[in-house]
Amino acid sequence: MLRYAARRALAAVPLLAAISFLAFLLNQLAPIEPAVAVLHAQGVPQATEELIAAKRTELGLDRPLPIRYAEWLLSALKLDFGQSYVTGQPVLALLCPALLHTLQLAAVSFAVIVLLSIGLGVFCALREGTRLDQGTRAAAFFLTALPPYLLAAGLVWLLSVKLDLLPTSGLGGPASFVLPAAVLAAGYAGVYFRVIRSSMIAGRHDDSILYGRACGLPERTLTLRMLVQSLRLTVPIFAMAVPILLGSTVVVENVFAWPGLGTMSVKAILSRDYPVIQAFVLLLASAFVLFNAAADIVGAMLDPRLRKEL
Amino acid sequence: MNPHLYPGSMAAQGMIYESLIEKTESGFAPLLAESWEVSDDGLAYTFHLRQGVTFHDGAPFNAEAVKKNIDAVQANAERHAWIKLSAKLKQVTVLDEHTVRLELSEPYAPTLLELSMTRPYVFLSPNDFKDGGTKDGVQGHDGTGPYRLAEQKQDQYAVFEANEDYWAGAPAVKRITAKVLPTGETTLLALQKGEVNFLFTDDRGADSLDVEAMQSLVDTGKYQLLRSKPMNTKLIAANSSRADSPVGERAVREALWHAVDRDTIAGTLLHGTETPAEALFSPNTPYADLDLPKRAYDLKRAAELLEEAGWKQGDGGIRTKAGKPLALQLVYDAASLSQKTEAELIQSAGASIGMKLELVGEPSPSLAARRASGDYDLLFNQTWGLAYDPQSTIASFTAESSYRHTTSGIERAEELYAEIEEAARTTDEAARKQLYRDILKTVHDEAVFIPISHGGVTVVAPSDLDGVAFKQTQFELPFEQMKFR
Amino acid sequence: MKRLQRLLSDRLAAASLAVLAAILAAGALAPWIAPHPPDEVDMALRYAPWSLDYPLGNDQLGRCVLSRVLHGIRPSVLYVLAAVLASAGFGTAVGMAAGLLRGRTDALLMRLCDVMLSFPGYVMTLAVIGVLGTGLANILLAFILMKWAWFARVARTAVQRHADAGYVLFARTLGAGRLTLLRRHLLPACLPELAVLASGSFGTTLLQVSGLSFLGLGIQAPHAEWGMMLSEARQAMFSRPEQLLAPGFMIVLTVSAVNFLSDALQTALDPQAGGPRQAAAVPGEPEAAAAAMLRKEAV
Repeated sequence: MLRYAARRALAAVPLLAAISFLAFLLNQLAPIEPAVAVLHAQGVPQATEELIAAKRTELGLDRPLPIRYAEWLLSALKLDFGQSYVTGQPVLALLCPALLHTLQLAAVSFAVIVLLSIGLGVFCALREGTRLDQGTRAAAFFLTALPPYLLAAGLVWLLSVKLDLLPTSGLGGPASFVLPAAVLAAGYAGVYFRVIRSSMIAGRHDDSILYGRACGLPERTLTLRMLVQSLRLTVPIFAMAVPILLGSTVVVENVFAWPGLGTMSVKAILSRDYPVIQAFVLLLASAFVLFNAAADIVGAMLDPRLRKEL
Repeated sequence: MNPHLYPGSMAAQGMIYESLIEKTESGFAPLLAESWEVSDDGLAYTFHLRQGVTFHDGAPFNAEAVKKNIDAVQANAERHAWIKLSAKLKQVTVLDEHTVRLELSEPYAPTLLELSMTRPYVFLSPNDFKDGGTKDGVQGHDGTGPYRLAEQKQDQYAVFEANEDYWAGAPAVKRITAKVLPTGETTLLALQKGEVNFLFTDDRGADSLDVEAMQSLVDTGKYQLLRSKPMNTKLIAANSSRADSPVGERAVREALWHAVDRDTIAGTLLHGTETPAEALFSPNTPYADLDLPKRAYDLKRAAELLEEAGWKQGDGGIRTKAGKPLALQLVYDAASLSQKTEAELIQSAGASIGMKLELVGEPSPSLAARRASGDYDLLFNQTWGLAYDPQSTIASFTAESSYRHTTSGIERAEELYAEIEEAARTTDEAARKQLYRDILKTVHDEAVFIPISHGGVTVVAPSDLDGVAFKQTQFELPFEQMKFR
Repeated sequence: MKRLQRLLSDRLAAASLAVLAAILAAGALAPWIAPHPPDEVDMALRYAPWSLDYPLGNDQLGRCVLSRVLHGIRPSVLYVLAAVLASAGFGTAVGMAAGLLRGRTDALLMRLCDVMLSFPGYVMTLAVIGVLGTGLANILLAFILMKWAWFARVARTAVQRHADAGYVLFARTLGAGRLTLLRRHLLPACLPELAVLASGSFGTTLLQVSGLSFLGLGIQAPHAEWGMMLSEARQAMFSRPEQLLAPGFMIVLTVSAVNFLSDALQTALDPQAGGPRQAAAVPGEPEAAAAAMLRKEAV
């Protein structure tokens, strides 16, 4: 098992290298000269020729590409992503609070997703085919087809304005998490719920359960056993939900003015703040790779048959 | 919030920091300098500083502090190239505790104007300097202004507290929290719920206000809605230097001018938050109260102009001349919904006179890049605002990165540039007035700046707040004058 | 054929298919069936309620909402479908090549896939927009750049699995060439899985494209697109909430139909429906679930 884990982790290294190179290239492929982008981003009303030339030297843009990549990578490994073109602050100083806020939001949403999908999944699997089951599934289906921004607008209008229960936007106390987390979780919960439900139903016809029932084990024990079995299959999927959530908060964060990665990245893109965009891409892609490896390793722990893969 | 650099909110900087003098409707007024003299040759400016003023950290504001601040700005002069004063300022001399003299290398008329701007010539406590300067960052935000920065969270909020030792008396509103709100409908919700009770828009803000809904809020009696005088002009810059495009032709630009329905844009699309603009500057701008001929919304006249210029109706409803179609590209800021809607309206009007406008929405940095490289036919833009108009905007006609491409294709471009240079140099007020008149008349006749609307500041404030007034810039408000009934 | 019959015997699936076909046809025929040009401005009709002439009313510039919704089908649905098909086609070709050629080519192509798969959906799209600028074409390009890798993986696994199956070996001994083999046996064999993946990713791509348009990163004016129509309507959400209805309804309807179809496809193509394969419709990232699906199949 340990050997598998080590090999799986090692396999991620060349991937990370390739990703970092792609992220670095972003800056080079841009149609607007970075020096001009910096000057504009800093709000200098007029970029004169001398200013541009000076900026180019200051940013080291006149040196060969491989050297710049090596330098960028080395400092990125030390968590130094350079300075934001716009504010001149270190990118890390922007990234850290944004990441923290997005992590908080993602964590809350993740908890909601897990609770909702397991709870409803088990509930519906036990009532397969009844009206309740069908109704829940229909609702879940509807939620996955609803654009998040529309859901957000509706919820804000109802819960914040009409009922005056929750703040409309921004990061504040626990109450401020409710709406963004609910909107973020809605679509995903609908899907993961179906995963749990169908794997529970599939498990019901599993020999071990049939055997258990024949032996007269109480239904509660059987349900629990079915749940454990279906979780064994779905845990890796849940694990991947974390980086997916981190990368897909863009719309929700913009609608709720949440000071996280999504808001930061859209702002950076609109002002062509390349160091920030690079750090954002690198961070999320790395998270994706690492969680993928972790999901594989956890999956292999839960199901030894998977270990021979690789 | 480094006052000597550009990032950061101008509104906040204006609350914390102050300049030597202030530009008001009636001219320059004392602020940190109580009085000033200009030498006859226009080379030396002597300022007598207000006494007893301290920075928020207690350090005294004196001639030494002025010198240190201006030197810090000058140390980073290339960043301020757009402020011509930075290149002409030779040295700052401390005459005594409360008197400083600024010496210029050549006479420069807009000196006082540039000293009055929100940045960069404002004053920060020298104790906050880093390595004796400010270009690599600052250690604190201690200005002399009516408010001090109490707390700040990037992208979330900032709290300002009244400066009890403010030289003009402590402000009545003791605490102001500035919040970051998402654009759009949430702003209104936040007001309705009372999460926010004061709201002001800068020139872009009109995009994010549903004015109709805002009005219903005012009708409840809890809020008042106030609008400033026109502060700047939204316009379409036409690239006259493009000889191979129809836009290089004056008749085409004039026709487009006639095709812009300003009343509908200002009155309906912008819900009256802005007023129709008939010239590059609104008449309340200095030197700009000229009786320039109006080009009203008149599609028939527009079609006539095109017809006279030889643009004949062709296939598919698009006019042609010498086999060339009358097709232009109009670039707008993709982040601005109002620009998009205006562009769509103008496009539709253009189609009805046989002018094809292709709309291109891009993020604002691309717009700036296009403006600098001349890669555009028509470009949404705006003047810099009352504090800078008309001098700075006119100065930028000649600048490569600003409106060089807009102005260089006109017939008497060389003459125009000479006049602009002369206007900045002359110390004779009457001569300057005449020069500005000529300059503005030329660009008006050539129709290179097609005005759309005059923007201003819209404030939604609690109805029991008194003293809501406006400054000469669309980016700031004088909070220190407000008080609750 | 049998599979198709089974699919159509599911009434919900048949209905979804009919709805989608109607939407696609309406999109293709929009210039002919729309009552008005979609960008015809008439300020006198600003926010006019529905009428016989304008069955869904008019928007902030007095344009016909029905015509805009119909024309909006092209960027919102048709182009997205084209992008999904393009990435499916390209990915399948790559995956099959990798599966058939094996060896170094296979290893190289699969590593490339791994790299592409490491960028979560929105992140890659935002990165491409960051470099190339905003616009629908760039967004779709980003989707193609990213999604082909999922198809490649699925196709490769399928080809490898079937390549060793008895009937293929049999055909090979009979002297069937590689291409014939591919066309006659391998492609049909992996079509079901590709169809499931494609339909799942179609639904999520629809939502993501409309979301990006909503943020103002998408299509250029004056072209109508549902996400953009919603973001225009949001400006007047409290004074004119009805403006949200038409584009909002269309998005929900289309995505629901696609999701139902995707679900029915899975059931029809895989009689033992259930297990993590169901996960192929994870919104935002159907591919992550597909990866889980592959993992299971590798067993």
